[in-house]
Amino acid sequence: MMAIGLLEFIKNLILWPPVFYMLIAPGLITMMILLIILIWAERKIAGRIQMRYGPLEISPKIGGAIQLLADLMRYMFQEIIIPRTVDTLPYIIAPIAGFVISMLPIAAIPISPIYFPSPMNNSIIVALALTTLPPIFGILAGWSSNNKFSLIGGARESFLVAAYELIIILSAIGAVIIYGSPDFTQAVSAQKDLWGIVLNPISAIAFYVAVLMASGRFPFEIAEAEAEIVMGAYTEYSGLMYGLSMGISYARMFVYNLIFTLLFLGGWYPFFTVPGHTFFSYVIIPATIVIVKALIVSLTMVFTRAIYARLRIDQALGGAWKFWFLFSIMGLLLGGAIVLLQGGI
Amino acid sequence: MEAISDIGGGISARKVDDKTMILFFGPQHPSSGHMRIILKLDGDVIIESDPDIGYVHRTMEKLSETKEWIKNSVLFERLAILDAGNVTQAYIIALEKLLGIEPPERALYLRTILSEINRISSHLYGMGIFAIMLGSSTGYMWFFGDREIMVQLAERITGSRLTHTYHIPGGVRRDVSKSFFEELEKGLNYIEKRLRHYEIMFVNNPVVRSRIENVGILSRERAIDLGVTGPNARASGIDFDVRVEEPYGAYSFVDFEVPVYKEGDALARTFQRMDEIRQSISILRQLSKSIPEGPILNEKYLKLFTPAMKEVLEKDKRIKFPAIFTSLKPPSGKAYGRVEEGRGEIFFYLESNGEPKPYRVRVVTPSFRNSILLKYLPVGYRLADLPAIYGSIDYFPPEADR
Repeated sequence: MMAIGLLEFIKNLILWPPVFYMLIAPGLITMMILLIILIWAERKIAGRIQMRYGPLEISPKIGGAIQLLADLMRYMFQEIIIPRTVDTLPYIIAPIAGFVISMLPIAAIPISPIYFPSPMNNSIIVALALTTLPPIFGILAGWSSNNKFSLIGGARESFLVAAYELIIILSAIGAVIIYGSPDFTQAVSAQKDLWGIVLNPISAIAFYVAVLMASGRFPFEIAEAEAEIVMGAYTEYSGLMYGLSMGISYARMFVYNLIFTLLFLGGWYPFFTVPGHTFFSYVIIPATIVIVKALIVSLTMVFTRAIYARLRIDQALGGAWKFWFLFSIMGLLLGGAIVLLQGGI
Repeated sequence: MEAISDIGGGISARKVDDKTMILFFGPQHPSSGHMRIILKLDGDVIIESDPDIGYVHRTMEKLSETKEWIKNSVLFERLAILDAGNVTQAYIIALEKLLGIEPPERALYLRTILSEINRISSHLYGMGIFAIMLGSSTGYMWFFGDREIMVQLAERITGSRLTHTYHIPGGVRRDVSKSFFEELEKGLNYIEKRLRHYEIMFVNNPVVRSRIENVGILSRERAIDLGVTGPNARASGIDFDVRVEEPYGAYSFVDFEVPVYKEGDALARTFQRMDEIRQSISILRQLSKSIPEGPILNEKYLKLFTPAMKEVLEKDKRIKFPAIFTSLKPPSGKAYGRVEEGRGEIFFYLESNGEPKPYRVRVVTPSFRNSILLKYLPVGYRLADLPAIYGSIDYFPPEADR
């Protein structure tokens, strides 16, 4: 009797939305699996274009798919060297907090119409606000490392943050005003027939490019430019700390793409249910649809590595302020025009 | 630098300019190579650049005075192993002048074929490094992957991939078979096809192009003042090529153009190298059509061959050295050799006093002459432009440091 009660308790605990979201999907476990798929796919696609195999040796039968696990294992057993000259506390906190906080927006991102951690009327605003936090820890890492390359990396990161955050928020507003609600579930249900990317393609494109910039994908891999500033803000890190700092940009990209999916790609639509299986219908199916969509968008983003070189910081900032900022305002105006046409407000 | 001032108590100090930052770019840096560039940055803009070379100095000139003449060719090709054929050729040309011996015509053709294969592979290597410095990993992999074709062709001629040791006084070490020219043609067709891909994917890629256009502009006057050589000079409008000015090998038998660009920026240097690869392909085609039959070593040395050596030459088409080669004693005198290497003109000055070892060897390498560019070109550009400039001048530290 006790054992059954305990099992029931564990089951309920795991299925309690906050725990389920942060730990299972789309949180830690799903994120790890997706990171493995993403990084493997990134290297395999790039390898195919670049006339080489990509990862292979670890597991030749499945094309080296678990290469990242091997890398992580190596990171785990590698000595974490903390240089004498660093500011120890912020130096240690920065990558750990950066990684954890980069996943925090998940608490406000629903992946199912009725099953979400925190019912919020303004979840879009909360999620977007939380996504702006991780760069602070990148800048902190750059400052506390006491290394000139780290400092330059942190400075570059801070310049980029100022440029892309506004574009992301403006283009999100461009979508939100069409749906008439800053709530993800309502925004998704407004896209039942027509996806946001069709309604407001300008905002969608601006959002996509700004996410490229935010997650340091090519051609905006400026804050970590290896040929120029070694590893940017994370130059002085080693072992698991380095592994974590590498994961931050991927985690951020995936979280942004979850938001992108919900705002522009119709979220869990096409939504369907299997009668008699409530959990399956309302959690597993919509979650899979959302995560697969976000994964596909992420794959297109990592694919840019195989095509582009790296822009200069002034080119990226100039492009962001002179073009993409105005472009996202155009998206905002388009959203307003659609609202007027629908006879809203 | 500010004046040193006395701050009392007999201690003098230099006032620190707090607006600038000194950045040590290398030697422990992913893209610095075996050297250090001391940069003074004002924000993101480079206001002073001081290349600090010499990290891979191997005392080659002095070392060569302790080795026999023929052994030195093995030493000097370590200057730039990716372009070993051209380096050795310059040394051997100078040595032949001392010895007063001429290689037969077929040997000249074979030397020139190896030179041009080396030039293509050297340019591909340089552009690969350039690509990864700009962050284009596809360009990097493509250039290095396709360079393999040229390396294998060189292996077919000489028997080794990089350090060929192909040139010997009075000729070359191995002959090639007829099937080699078919393979050469195949390889050239492939590279010719790929050059178009490089233009689409790398040079005309909007991001790459915006990174290298109008970056690191070297004017014609500046290039002459600094004594720049090779593709970097030709991309600044200087029509100078040792292959034309002082033909060696079989260059006087072939028809080719020297591509010259007048813009002098990183983009012009890239286009110049691509055009040189095209010219090299054309030269190789002409050479493989018109290569004459005949011996590959001067008659004078062939006479010294024992029957066993002659048999090896007949059967394997390779030369076993007569004993005299180990103790060559060129008459007293001075001689020089000039060769257009992938990166520019390499110059050897040899002095003999009749001993089996050189009295003095002086090498002026193209990378050494171009290294001065790292002091003057990056000034006024951004930190991110430094790898673009470094990569575009195709600087190779081991060659410069000798």
